[in-house]
Amino acid sequence: MQPAKPNVIIASYGAITAAGPDVASLLAALRTNTSGLRANERFNSPRFQSSIVGTAPRPSAQPTDDDPAFDLANDALTQARQNLGALMIAPERIGFVLATTKANIEALERLMDGRPCSDRARRHLQPELLAEDLAETHEARGPRQTISNACTSGVVALQQGAKMIQRGAADAAYVVGVDHLSAFVLAGFTALKALDPSGARPFDRERCGLSLGEAGGAIVLLRDDLATAPGIELIGWGSSNDANHMTGPSRDGSGLALAIRGALRTANLTAADIDYINVHGTGTPYNDAMEAAALRTIFGEACPPVSGQKGMLGHTLGAAGVVESIICALALREQFLPGTPRLSSLADGMPASLVKEPRPAERLRHVLKLSTGFGGVNCALVLRHG
Amino acid sequence: MDNFVVTPTVTVNPDDVPAARLGTRFGRMDLMSQLALLAVEPFAPQFESIARERIAICLVARSSSLATDVEYWKGRDNTGGPSPTLFTYTLPSAALGEIAIRHRITGPPLCFVGGGDDVMAEAMNLLKSGAADGCVCVDVNVVSPALSELIGLPVVAEAKAFLIRRAV
Repeated sequence: MQPAKPNVIIASYGAITAAGPDVASLLAALRTNTSGLRANERFNSPRFQSSIVGTAPRPSAQPTDDDPAFDLANDALTQARQNLGALMIAPERIGFVLATTKANIEALERLMDGRPCSDRARRHLQPELLAEDLAETHEARGPRQTISNACTSGVVALQQGAKMIQRGAADAAYVVGVDHLSAFVLAGFTALKALDPSGARPFDRERCGLSLGEAGGAIVLLRDDLATAPGIELIGWGSSNDANHMTGPSRDGSGLALAIRGALRTANLTAADIDYINVHGTGTPYNDAMEAAALRTIFGEACPPVSGQKGMLGHTLGAAGVVESIICALALREQFLPGTPRLSSLADGMPASLVKEPRPAERLRHVLKLSTGFGGVNCALVLRHG
Repeated sequence: MDNFVVTPTVTVNPDDVPAARLGTRFGRMDLMSQLALLAVEPFAPQFESIARERIAICLVARSSSLATDVEYWKGRDNTGGPSPTLFTYTLPSAALGEIAIRHRITGPPLCFVGGGDDVMAEAMNLLKSGAADGCVCVDVNVVSPALSELIGLPVVAEAKAFLIRRAV
């Protein structure tokens, strides 16, 4: 008989987002449903479909302008470690998982434009070297992984960190998600005509695209018997592929539904146990409709409250799964339902249980976090209030 | 105790691309996705004996998608901006999506960047945990001359792949 796997808890977190420099500012924005999307002069050009983005305040500790990926990630992880307090675990038992789609793509723009670029910034163009330097800076010398699963990267990284602990390879894991705003990515989404010129309005009748954002998010995962205080448990995960289209989701949501079933199975729960769903909710017509279809498949007409925050933070790509899991942890800790910023009129076919404005929750125990991305990837996590 | 079977590793390089007969879509892909697809093709018939949602894909993109990133960003000043098609391939996981689409694989997808040690370990984890019955493992590395000039990595273009599955 195999020994029972240890439980994994979210022991601490840090975030730097368009809502502000830390988790307190993120929580304040969630409480007031305030959007951090703003016009950014840097992107005010006919080259881009929209200049409305979620710009994060750049960390003040080590101000550089050519290595934003390291700076955002480092700041978020520093916050998470400060919030945690002393961690009496040997560095060799602390794993590190980085989630990113483009790492320090700023360096590529600079190098190809012939602009100044430091050796460090150039090095961090390579995601695994960014991970190496972050792990070394924060003395995480256990197993290290760099995950780049498109926009599901952050959620997949949390799954990987939890598995690292469950199989005994580490006692704790620093899971960090980061992506920064860049002309490179904004031009790509412009080419795909996927941006909403007036800013993302997920699930809205008038929605027509996403807004990009930047963020660093960090979560410290810990074997529960090493925790000095109760935390939010990470109890289930599942992932799948649509096997359908490179940039468009499957119309029927079957791929995402498969991932949700996997997450419920590993959490040993049924759909009826879920109290709140934090969706991917990009604001593109196809994504939101696909998620609604997946939720109908799994929950039928009894869908629990649903909301998404990309109208507040923008789509932060590789960071999104980590930052939005922090939002789930905050919802569980504070027992409230976050809203869906910038939603004014719910589109037809969307879940009737969609939460427009934040409100207290009667009872929040199990939260489902959803994430989807290019290449047809889907991932779902289940978090539990201990 | 479970037993597992591993197919021989298939290695391909750009010399194998011109002779490939994988449809018009193949011609529009970046080199990384082309190599990854070609490396998987020889053992693809074995997928027929495994439920597609029970097949995982673990991909290692050793040099991320940086070679394609350079090609895409060369088009930044084009009328209408850079190519939307190439943008799709500026994700290291793009090859994973192409493999899934071609072979209708809907099981867990996982893309690592950097070292290749994670692939076999992760595949074994997926099989031993019961999350999958088979895992397509792909290790692809593309560093173009243009990328090499920018960041100093040696020029390379190669993909290796194998299938590990539960013994029947």
